[in-house]
Amino acid sequence: MLEANDLTKRYDQHLALDRLNLKVAPGEIFCLLGGNGAGKTTTINLFLNFIQPTSGTATVNGIDVAARPLEAKRQIAYIPETVMLYGSLSGIENLEYFSKLALGVKRPRAELLDLLVQAGLAPDAAPRRVEGYSKGMRQKVGIAIAMARNARALLLDEPTSGLDPQAANEFARLLEQMKHRGVAILMTTHDLFLAKQTGTRVGIMQRGVLAAMFGTDTVDHTELERIYLDLSYGKKAA
Amino acid sequence: MSAITETAAPVPALPPAGMVATIAGKEFTELLRDARLKWAGGLIAVLMLTALLLGWQQQQQLDRERAAASHTSYQQWLGQGEKNPHSAAHYGQYAFKPASPLSFLDPGINPYVGSAVWMEAHKQNEFRFRPARDATSLRRFGDLSINFVWQVLSPLLIVLITFNAFTGERERGTLRQLLSVGVQPAQLLVGKMTAISALLAILLVPPMLMAMAMLFFVDEHHVDSLDILGRSGLMFIGYAVYLAGFALLSLGVSAACGSSRKALIVLLAFWVLNCFVAPRAITDVAARLAPTPSAVQFQSALTQAKKANFGHDEKHPAFIAFRDSVLARYGVSRVEDLPVNFRALSLNEDDERGYRIYDEHYGRLWAIYLEQERIRSLAGVLFPMAALQPWSMAMAGTDIAQQNDFATAAERYRREIQKAMAADMIRNRPNDGSDYVAGPELWASIAPFEYRLPQAASVLGNQWRNLLLLLVWAAMIGGFALTVVRRLRPT
Repeated sequence: MLEANDLTKRYDQHLALDRLNLKVAPGEIFCLLGGNGAGKTTTINLFLNFIQPTSGTATVNGIDVAARPLEAKRQIAYIPETVMLYGSLSGIENLEYFSKLALGVKRPRAELLDLLVQAGLAPDAAPRRVEGYSKGMRQKVGIAIAMARNARALLLDEPTSGLDPQAANEFARLLEQMKHRGVAILMTTHDLFLAKQTGTRVGIMQRGVLAAMFGTDTVDHTELERIYLDLSYGKKAA
Repeated sequence: MSAITETAAPVPALPPAGMVATIAGKEFTELLRDARLKWAGGLIAVLMLTALLLGWQQQQQLDRERAAASHTSYQQWLGQGEKNPHSAAHYGQYAFKPASPLSFLDPGINPYVGSAVWMEAHKQNEFRFRPARDATSLRRFGDLSINFVWQVLSPLLIVLITFNAFTGERERGTLRQLLSVGVQPAQLLVGKMTAISALLAILLVPPMLMAMAMLFFVDEHHVDSLDILGRSGLMFIGYAVYLAGFALLSLGVSAACGSSRKALIVLLAFWVLNCFVAPRAITDVAARLAPTPSAVQFQSALTQAKKANFGHDEKHPAFIAFRDSVLARYGVSRVEDLPVNFRALSLNEDDERGYRIYDEHYGRLWAIYLEQERIRSLAGVLFPMAALQPWSMAMAGTDIAQQNDFATAAERYRREIQKAMAADMIRNRPNDGSDYVAGPELWASIAPFEYRLPQAASVLGNQWRNLLLLLVWAAMIGGFALTVVRRLRPT
């Protein structure tokens, strides 16, 4: 569903992403790990066509993102590290707006409210203006937006950053449900626990290169942490 | 947590118009909830209402006073009793310029030029009673008209509510969200512009409708109702293009700038340049390129030229030459033998020669004013105020061209009086030196002076270039906005 073929991004002398080859199948959660500047967000940005690849291709369901961005975006939902919404609109109005832009139809308020509740937002918070929301509450609206899109692929950029443990746990459960529905999920994260818990496969990036890739069922938590620290920072795990 | 919806399916695309409408709806909702708009918009609404009502009340009062003064002046003309027609011509009348119906929307040059002219024999007088000269300096601060709100305050409001239209999306991170759902930057621009257009309509349409309602409740306008409607519509179009251009500029700058602060500084700088600096600077440039003589120089040149005329001087060589030509034309050797009154003929001839001198000097002055107007208008491609101001004044009937039209009509009337008085004397006054007096029937043969504003179509004929310049400016700004918005990136 999500595929990178020799995907490369260079900024002048800086190689942000070097010949990334990656496939995320339907019903798979692929976790991209790596330190800051490893190329994780660059990968997400390339799949979203926010930046143009220097060479190589990123495809979604066989559609080249750079060549046919609108068609490709129709297949993708995206949750950034911090879901940013319109403060003067309520949670449900934000969801209504983004889902209408994405789906082309106005969904009934009851349906939207149900999505917000599914994403973990308290029903009484839905009609309140987002300017009063916590980061976690905004993240839940972002999740509801992604769910409303009913997309075939989901791109997540550090989605649990700043969420409390309970919200992160709820989020992991939602990811599991999406996986079972056949959604291909590509998630960048620093959260090794989340990667091990929800991921099907893990890739560790280092200076723009996918340095390692393996199934989460082949390593335990300690081993995953050791490999991650080794590749990311050149240190041995304690 | 309950189950998520069923299997994922391809998402249909929202048609571009639907996408734009959705964006516009959300933008408009945000605008209405924006505290900046509530305060600034509320203040502007109060100012507009005040300007409209005060302007209307002042114009009505002025119109009544001028009509009364005009009537009095004509009654005085009629009530001269028996006297020599030439003395009556010297006695003359006052012509008062009626207030244009839309002058309360844009008083234009009215406060700076006179509203009345004394029409007397031999002399084309200047206009008197300039409100700006007669007013105290404090009064000038109190002169608030709706054109100021539309020309100066409304663009500021647009800048204040739109400077962060795109920078804000980028800074908040909502731009990533929007682009990720397949919104195209150009659709975002059109959606935002549509929402702002609705706001502009609120700024322009209600005051214009109020003005129309006020005008149609009053009977006498010196123009017909259709013409008022035409002028108002054309004025509205000019302001709509101007404010839409400002909105596009604000959106474009917001898309081009890296931060909201930078966008605000750029836009405020342009607003100051356009509204305050450029009009003065352009006027100075126009005055340098096409200099007008000072009032003293003009009068001195006129006096000098008029020395070629004989006036009442019977020893003037021109007088002697004219007398000889008249005697030769009638085949007599003495003035006393002429079948017509020579004194009246000579005065008439002096007037005719004077008309040519006045026409030449005022015509030259008018040509310079027109050239200055042309130069000023050209700057409208960069600073739209330079094209909007003359357009607005022209549609309100308060520009220099319509002042000149009134001056020309008044002068025509003055000459008719002179001709009628001279013709009567030529026919009736004996050449034996005895005095001739005419009665009220002669004064009554002169109809009261009436002036009607030029038709909207003829004003448009003179002003189309300013509208074209405004449209060119707005199109350029639209192109700029579209270009920068297409390059919009979320990071």
